[in-house]
Amino acid sequence: MVFLKKIFLFIKRESQIFFSNFVDLCSNILFFFLSIFVFVFALGADEQLLRTVGLGIIWSLLLLSSTLSLRKFYEEDFNNGVITIIHMGGMSYELIVFFKIISHFLFVQIPFLASIPIASVFFNLPIIEVYNLILTFIIGSLILSCLGSISSSMNLLNKTNFSIGSIIVLLFSIPVIIFSVGINNSDSNFNNLINLLIGIALIFLGIAPWSSAAFIRLALRNK
Amino acid sequence: MMLNFLINPNKFNILADIIFKPLLIIAFIILILGLILVYYSPLDYQQGLTVKIMYIHVPSAWLALLTYAIMTIYSIVGLAFKIPFSFIINKAIAPIGAIFTTLCLLSGSLWGKPMWGTWWVWDARLTSVAILLIIYVIIIFLNQTFESREVKEKTVAIFILIGSINLPIIKFSVDWWNTLHQPASISKLSSPSIDISMLKPLLVMTIAFSLIGLIIAILRIKAEILIRKRDL
Repeated sequence: MVFLKKIFLFIKRESQIFFSNFVDLCSNILFFFLSIFVFVFALGADEQLLRTVGLGIIWSLLLLSSTLSLRKFYEEDFNNGVITIIHMGGMSYELIVFFKIISHFLFVQIPFLASIPIASVFFNLPIIEVYNLILTFIIGSLILSCLGSISSSMNLLNKTNFSIGSIIVLLFSIPVIIFSVGINNSDSNFNNLINLLIGIALIFLGIAPWSSAAFIRLALRNK
Repeated sequence: MMLNFLINPNKFNILADIIFKPLLIIAFIILILGLILVYYSPLDYQQGLTVKIMYIHVPSAWLALLTYAIMTIYSIVGLAFKIPFSFIINKAIAPIGAIFTTLCLLSGSLWGKPMWGTWWVWDARLTSVAILLIIYVIIIFLNQTFESREVKEKTVAIFILIGSINLPIIKFSVDWWNTLHQPASISKLSSPSIDISMLKPLLVMTIAFSLIGLIIAILRIKAEILIRKRDL
């Protein structure tokens, strides 16, 4: 019971932090919409063209705008020592990372999910593609949260090269993009691709706590 | 142990000093021999003179993959058994792999313009090799990034391990997907689908390229060992 209460308090604290920075989250979403506008201005307002490229644009912009806030993933907790305090309170680093990923998924990625239908209106996407987009984004954003956890824990002691974290997230999200957008190209193997995506998500849910915890321990030792 | 020089910097230094000059001469001779063989090799009935780009393209592609495979093995060894020499090797040979990958992409692009009519296509093999180049560049950048050496070494090793997923994708991309790039001609050891008159210069060039890579690797590893000794 005490353990469940600890987890509940951890998530409650995360939610309080996220809602106190609500403007930050909103500006990420604003970045997403504004970059859609930029794309439309750059491509021209041809309706047929926008319908064909819309899905790819929405996915890549979702990816870019969710990497915007990655630097905050562990950095504040690491610098003011909260992560050590929680660890001393009886949670292993792996567990902290796992619930951190879950809370990032809940409080950062889910608001993007709410903005997908509005974004797809701008491109006049057919309803089946919007449905597929939402389905793949639920799975894909979990993978993105795991990747973000890995890259930001990797960069805890990195004081010079800030953009390398986003580069790593973009590099490893290539398969996610391929399978997510590929669902719409061929309707026959829909189940295969969804299963592949779920498989990648489960692999990363397994890898991310282990490797992030290793990076956090390394950073704490060398601080 | 005979193979101690693979994990012990001092033994490596001793062996490298012994074999370096003979290796240099042998590599030079084999390179000249390979170039002569390439000069006299027959022209392709479809591709004409451009087939000779293949004698640079294929060895550099193989060596790009081989370098990454060596780095992967050394990362596993270094992380599992805590052998510092493996991190030295990781740092030293990453630029060599990057150069070979660049050479492979450039020569392929020069071949592709007259043959396929385009410098670049988004083909599975080409894209995965380009991603390999990006991974090499990220490894080089990560090596310059961190202040603490332990963090740097382990981060690079773990990144190399995660990035090694790309190796089987490159190898089997021509079989899994329907690509413009032709499938492997040499890997079927029993009956290679390349003529023996073209296979001979290709193998000689491969040996020459690997010797050149080995020479640069020895120089870089020795320099890296000296840097570590100065910093201690």
